[in-house]
Amino acid sequence: MANLGPGKAAISKEQAGLRYPSNGKTIYHRPLHRSKTAELSQSSFAYLFSEMVSYAQRRVTGIQDLEKRLNLQGHPVGLKLLDLLLTREPARTQTRPLTIIALLHLIKINLWTHLFGRQADRLEKSSNPDTPDEYMIVDNEPLVNAYISVPREMSQLNCAAFVAGIVEGMCDGAMFPARVTAHTVGGKEEGEMWPGKTVFLVKFQPEVLEREALIGKG
Amino acid sequence: MASSKASRLGEETRMDKVNAELVVLTYGTIVAQLCKDFDSDYVEVNKQLDKMGYNIGLRLIEDYLAKSNTVRRCANFRETAEMIAKVGFKIFLNITPTITNWTSDGKQFSLVFDENPFADFVELPDDGRAQDELWYSNILCGVLRGALEMVQMQVEAHFISDVLRGNDTTEMRISLIRYIDDELPPEDD
Amino acid sequence: MVVYSFYIFDRHTECIYSKSWLPPPTSHDGSAAAAAAAAPPPPTTTTAPHTTASDNNNDAKLIFGTVFSLRNMVRKLGGDDDAFVSFRTAHYKLHYYETASSLRLVMLTDTATPSMRNVLHQIYINLWVEYVVKNPLSPVEHRGGRGVRNELFELGLDQFVRGLM
Repeated sequence: MANLGPGKAAISKEQAGLRYPSNGKTIYHRPLHRSKTAELSQSSFAYLFSEMVSYAQRRVTGIQDLEKRLNLQGHPVGLKLLDLLLTREPARTQTRPLTIIALLHLIKINLWTHLFGRQADRLEKSSNPDTPDEYMIVDNEPLVNAYISVPREMSQLNCAAFVAGIVEGMCDGAMFPARVTAHTVGGKEEGEMWPGKTVFLVKFQPEVLEREALIGKG
Repeated sequence: MASSKASRLGEETRMDKVNAELVVLTYGTIVAQLCKDFDSDYVEVNKQLDKMGYNIGLRLIEDYLAKSNTVRRCANFRETAEMIAKVGFKIFLNITPTITNWTSDGKQFSLVFDENPFADFVELPDDGRAQDELWYSNILCGVLRGALEMVQMQVEAHFISDVLRGNDTTEMRISLIRYIDDELPPEDD
Repeated sequence: MVVYSFYIFDRHTECIYSKSWLPPPTSHDGSAAAAAAAAPPPPTTTTAPHTTASDNNNDAKLIFGTVFSLRNMVRKLGGDDDAFVSFRTAHYKLHYYETASSLRLVMLTDTATPSMRNVLHQIYINLWVEYVVKNPLSPVEHRGGRGVRNELFELGLDQFVRGLM
C-alpha cells in the first residue's frame, strides 16, 4: 500500500532496490489491521484537509476546477480503501461486489462507517427514467465540511468533492467506472435541519449498466 | 516537575476524534500529489511540505492553546520541548516522541519518533532517489516552525533520519534561533 | 448586561474584526467614541454626526494603543504572569483577553458587567478556533480582516453575545 506511484520501472541494474531499517521497522512487518480502529484528532484531519484545499485553490481557475482537483486527490484513497476494506471482511464476503447495489452498499455502510464513524444517511436511485445510470448517496452533514463556511461568491463549492473522489476511486477500483460529484442540497432557510446536506451523485458508465442488464437476464 | 505535568496535560486534553486512516491516507494523497505536480523533484516536495506545515502550524497553535487551556508561555526552551512532545504530538497525532540529544546551551534538541502514523502505509518509490532526497513527513517540521512562531519563538527544524529511508530511527532536530519581540502598532502620522 | 462592541486584534496589531451592538453612552454627542477618552494621546475630535468606517477604524487604533500600553504597564509592574483584565470609565467597561499567540480580544460593556474574561475565552475557543482558524477557505493571516467575517463565525458570535444580554 505505498502511497506513492510505482517506481519499479525506473530501477537500474546496479541499484539494490530499497533500503530497510535493520530493526525490521517496515510496512511488511507491521500488521495491516493495526490502525483499523485507531483514532486521531479531528483537528489534524481538518488542518491537512485545509492545506489540501488551499493548495488546490492556488492551482485552479474556478470552482469546478477546484472540485475536480479535490476529486482527483480523493481517487487514490478510494482505490486503496477498496482493497483495505475488503481484506478486512470475513473470508466469505471478501470478494469484490458484483452488482451496483452491492457496491453502493459497501460504500454507504462499510466505507462511511470506517471513515466517518456512521453510515451514509440515504441511498437512492434516480427516479428520472432518462437517467437510470444515476444513484445518490446522501450525507446530511459531511464530516469533511465540519469547519467550512463557504462565502457567498463561492456558494457552488462543495469541498466534499474530495469524498466524491474517494467514492469514485472505489467504484473504478471495483470495475464499476463512474463519475461522482458532490452537491449541496441543504437549504438556507431558518429551521433547516441539515444546511450542509450533500448528495453524492454517482453516474455509472453505460457499460456498467449493460453488464448489469446481462447479469440480470442470466 | 514540568515533565510529568506535561504528560498529564497531554493525556487529559480531550479532542474530537476521527478514524486514523482517514488522516493518514489524506496525508498520503497530499504527498503523492506534490510528487506528481513537481515531477518527483523531491527537494521541492520537501519545501512544499514544509510550507504547508508552516501554514498548519499557524492555525494549529490556536487549537492547541484553546484545547490545552494554556495561558502562560513556557519558562524556557526545555519546557517548550516537553510541551511539544508530550502535549502537542500527543493531542494531535496520539504519539509522544522522545526528547533527546540536547546541546549544552539548551537551544537544540532532537525528537525521536518510535511511531509515526503518517508513515503507516508508506514505502517510498524505488526510483533510486526518493530514499536519498524525500523527507516524507517533512510537513511536521513546518508545523513546529509555524506553531512556535505564533508564540514568539523562531526555530529551525529538519529531519536527520527516517525509517522510510532505511535508517533505524526517525529523528527530527529542532533549534531555537531567537525569541521574537511583540510587534508594535505603526506610529501615527 | 449590555454589550456595546467587540474587537479582535491580531499579532501584527491590526484590527481584523469589529462589531458593535449598541453605541456606548457618551457625555457629549458627536464624540468619536467613548473609548477614545481614555486613550493617550488625546483623540483628534471629529464632528461627524454619524459613525463612519473611518471613525471605526480610528476607534480601533485608539483602543489598541490603549490596551497595549496598559498590558505592557501591567506586565512591567506585576511581572510577566500578570495580566491586564479590564478598566472602567463612567460610561463603560473595557474587557481584555490576550492569548499566548498574541490574539487580543476586546469587549466594551456597561459598567455593571462583571468580568468577561471567561466570555472572551469562550469566544476564542468555540468561535475563533472552530470557525476561523479551522476553516479551509479562510486564509492563515487575516490582513484587512480577510476570512474572519464568515457566516458561521458571525452568526455564532451574534447569538452568543445576544444570549448574554
